[in-house]
Amino acid sequence: MAEQKSEFEPKIVVYACNWCTYAATDLAGTSRMSYPPNVRIIRVMCSGRVDPQLVLQAFADGADGVIVAGCHPPADCHYIEGNYKAYRRFELFRKLLGAMGIEQERFRLEWISAAEASRWVQVVNEMVAQLKKLGPLKPNMEVRE
Amino acid sequence: MSEPRIGVYVCHCGFNIAGTVDVKKVVEFAKNLPNVVVAKEYVFMCSEPGQDLIKEDIKANNLNRIVVAACSPSLHEVTFRTAIKEAGLNKYLLEMANIREHCSWVHHDKEKATEKAKEIVRMAVAKARYLEPLEELEVGAETSALVLGGGIAGIRAALELANYGFHVYLVEKSPTIGGKAALIGYIDPQTKGAEVVSKMIDKIKECPRIQVLTNAELIQLGGFVGNYNAKIRINPRFVNERCTLCGECEEVCPVEVANEYNFGLSRRKAIFLPFANAYPPYYAIDYRVCVKCGECEKVCRFRAINLKEEAKILELKVGTLIVATGYDPYRPFKGEYGYGLHPNILTLFQLERLLDPDSPTKGELIIGGKIPKNIAFIQCVGSRNTTPGAKEYCSRMCCTTAINSAIKIKERYPNTNVYILYKDIMTYGSDETLYEEAGKKLVNFIKFEEKIPKVLITPEGLFIEVFEYTIQENIRIPVDAIVLSIGMLPPRDIEELIAVTRVSCGGEGFVREAHLKLAPVEAPTKGIFLAGCITGPKNILESIRMGSAAAAKAMALLSKGKITIEPMIAQVNEEKCSGCAICVGVCPYSAISIKTVNGDRIAHVEKALCMGCGTCSAACPSGAMQHLGFKDLQLLAQTRAVFGGEVHG
Amino acid sequence: MSEKPKVAWYWCASCGGCEESFVDLAERLLKVFETFDIVFCPVAMDFKREDVEKLPDGSIAVSLINGGIRMKEHEEMVKLLRKKSNIVIAYGACSAWGGVPGLANLYNLDEIVERKYLEIPTIENPKEILPTKKTIVNIPEAKIKAELELPEPLPTLLPIDKVIDVDYYIPGCPPTPDVFWNALQALLTGNLPPKGTVIGALQRSLCDECLLNETKPEKLLVKEFKRVEKAIPEPNKCLLAQGFLCMGPVTRGGCTALCIKANMPCTGCFGILDGVVDYGGKAISYFGSILDYSPMEEKEIKKAFESIPDWIGTIYRYSLPSAKLSHRAGLKRSKLMKEVFEI
Repeated sequence: MAEQKSEFEPKIVVYACNWCTYAATDLAGTSRMSYPPNVRIIRVMCSGRVDPQLVLQAFADGADGVIVAGCHPPADCHYIEGNYKAYRRFELFRKLLGAMGIEQERFRLEWISAAEASRWVQVVNEMVAQLKKLGPLKPNMEVRE
Repeated sequence: MSEPRIGVYVCHCGFNIAGTVDVKKVVEFAKNLPNVVVAKEYVFMCSEPGQDLIKEDIKANNLNRIVVAACSPSLHEVTFRTAIKEAGLNKYLLEMANIREHCSWVHHDKEKATEKAKEIVRMAVAKARYLEPLEELEVGAETSALVLGGGIAGIRAALELANYGFHVYLVEKSPTIGGKAALIGYIDPQTKGAEVVSKMIDKIKECPRIQVLTNAELIQLGGFVGNYNAKIRINPRFVNERCTLCGECEEVCPVEVANEYNFGLSRRKAIFLPFANAYPPYYAIDYRVCVKCGECEKVCRFRAINLKEEAKILELKVGTLIVATGYDPYRPFKGEYGYGLHPNILTLFQLERLLDPDSPTKGELIIGGKIPKNIAFIQCVGSRNTTPGAKEYCSRMCCTTAINSAIKIKERYPNTNVYILYKDIMTYGSDETLYEEAGKKLVNFIKFEEKIPKVLITPEGLFIEVFEYTIQENIRIPVDAIVLSIGMLPPRDIEELIAVTRVSCGGEGFVREAHLKLAPVEAPTKGIFLAGCITGPKNILESIRMGSAAAAKAMALLSKGKITIEPMIAQVNEEKCSGCAICVGVCPYSAISIKTVNGDRIAHVEKALCMGCGTCSAACPSGAMQHLGFKDLQLLAQTRAVFGGEVHG
Repeated sequence: MSEKPKVAWYWCASCGGCEESFVDLAERLLKVFETFDIVFCPVAMDFKREDVEKLPDGSIAVSLINGGIRMKEHEEMVKLLRKKSNIVIAYGACSAWGGVPGLANLYNLDEIVERKYLEIPTIENPKEILPTKKTIVNIPEAKIKAELELPEPLPTLLPIDKVIDVDYYIPGCPPTPDVFWNALQALLTGNLPPKGTVIGALQRSLCDECLLNETKPEKLLVKEFKRVEKAIPEPNKCLLAQGFLCMGPVTRGGCTALCIKANMPCTGCFGILDGVVDYGGKAISYFGSILDYSPMEEKEIKKAFESIPDWIGTIYRYSLPSAKLSHRAGLKRSKLMKEVFEI
């Protein structure tokens, strides 16, 4: 069983805002940092564009984890307060996840500025490690053995 | 749009990508993705031969969507957009798959990196299937500007704009321009703010392109960037340009009120000249207090007074707006450090006016009838959480102004002992030399921390009790006068300003800039810029610089005479919209409003105001609001493609 | 007798409200009887499954099915009706999206059975008798001795379109007589939209027909969420703008805003709009959007969210089984399924 789990490679969908986090993921690349290949990044203009529907779709399709990432509050958001909206929506979204029996570790809302490539790498490393411990989500969503 | 015919172009980027990702395998994988017609590799896709490869394919294979799997879109999206445009495709029919920064540069395991690159391409192809052609819009723009606030920041901005040939309306609420810098403060130890203001006013007098509107308020702002409609109310001044400043009217006027231009240090009549260098250079009647007795009208030999004058409304069309409405001095409450309980306790602003040659004492330091032997300044009144009603921030100008005044006092009255009671001395930059100079002039600096000084009003006179932090002892100082170094507050009428201009407030109550790093001096609403203390405390020099900065940004906008509207903005599907108005409240730019279309409430996006963040689209409960370039369907397709799924729609 | 189009009317996991709505057609019912020949309707008529099985495939013009799929029996019956019918309509919220009984998808069968037979305050079951797959019924006085077999429950409740192909949906809990009537008209005239769509209701959200839509403030932002259990809405003022969790903006219109007219917020029984992929996800998005606090005001945000005790019951009251996450994770560990039904 333990062996099986170590083979499990979680898949993480990331919604990154164009101005801060997407720039940080680019910087991680240009700085030749290294992190596990488990993330798939979808670029949006602002974390405030991320509709909880998208995150639900990702989980329903088999994501083991989802990250929504934007600019640091209060003043970093390129669009003034898109991050505020993301924060409120996803605070409420966590309640939904909890009620649906999905571990809180599977969803992260992160503030990563354009300069924080190392923070990005740290978030990916942490989440991959956590998800490996938790195991895949999909079998847990099945209703029959 | 016809059936998607997608071309996928995978770049080696020399070894940057090909060193880690098996490009051939990615190309083979891409060939089998839905709607992909061709998939090719090339060593440097961004090079001219690489771009030509794409252009030729577009023509040869009738491609209508392009996916370039290479570096980050922040690097070459523009390059490839231009390339496909040259081949006759709409430039927004391009999707970049970032397999360099997001893949080959951060992973080492070739097999895993190749698998990931395939999936990144699959996601890009999935989105590309739903891409739509988008068009940039151009609208004409006015080339004149409205500067709100005739203080030093607004004046500077107006002069900059006028120097470059733009027409400026300088709108000032009070009867004179000049603002507080005309009354107090220094630019350097030798130069008073008033001198600088005077020189600037002289330039304004000569400049035909600046129209100064005093006693004027912006009461309505419609339209959008490049095409603002400003409604200005000009309150009656009752005195016209025939005024010769003889002053006879002032003598007969029966109404007397505190003189706000001396911060209450003296009194003035209802008809008054704000200060010696006021501009426009004639008397004004304070319409709020005038009793219309008609005495002044009778006495005026020049027929310069007309009490029947009424408020006028002026409608202006301007391309841009600079908000520079300044600050209010902190208002100590009665009893705060004895304020209002003893005539010898005054504010720093009042002291500054007292030392002005134009003051009731002709600039002499006479307080309570005599030159004080001991005078103490108490710093941080109303700032840095020091006093009960204080703000969190440092007001930036009070330390320098107080020390400068202390030096002047020591120079003119060497026998007067000057004390400055402070928390921290914030004479930043070159002002630090003043601090040193004050020490040399034997100004006494007394430091306090959390325990603030106590002012005692006794029959024996005024005393200050303070726990001196450096010597850790309670001391008691007998003083003849106390100066409260008050800080800055957001202007009283900031609520009205926000209501009219739709600028927004930061945590400290001042107007906030759209982004401190990415969009300094810009308000969130396109075409509105900010200058001076309206964004927070500043000294005179900083306000001047900000005035210039705002003008530069305004000019960049005005000089084109037209506005280009980015197409990746919000769009309403009117068939689906129920006018629920959720989007109106979430838009940070007030770009959305509800309009009635065929009797139905429908959201309307003012394209020129929309900045394309997409938060309305995420909030829209019925999927009617779509973010072009990031539509629900496009993002869903991208999401599903991570797992090999598709959307249908 | 001339050949009138045949109609079947079947209920799955349903409360009977949908049948009530049929009766609510009132005098228009006569027209229905005049027009259609009802061949199967367990709630009112004694036709059995065998009677349906005997009908030729495709011979039923329209099957109206209400209720969600909770048991194997439902699944078998709707599959049978699909085979026999020309058009199948999911009638009402339960068959379209799962409905209120769909909230049981938050629990596994053991939890449901324990709650129902042991825990709820109104139950008296000292011997802790639980349902078994087979029961011997023996009543000698009536000379009855038989073995009854319970139909096997499914691990979760499903909307009918997860089991069969559905042609059209009629929304509501229950559908209003007018919506039903509109749908019937469409069926009779053959003036039907593309397959898979909702008929009889609006293409826009409820706000479109809500009289209070006009009363919205320019910026719809709130500082707290309110529940009608705890606060009385002011009349003639948009309920959402007052902080009540009105589902109107995310819910299909067509009911004429009946609840709002009674000063009650919309609970969402007309369901999802075309182009929205997850009803609750969208609801979260707009409730989160209009709560007017910054992330630094964490406490106020938490307080506002915590003031609503049952978010899932609020945002998925009628649609959990059709949501992207249609049930709680980890439901498969049910003793009942294994031990009693040997599944």
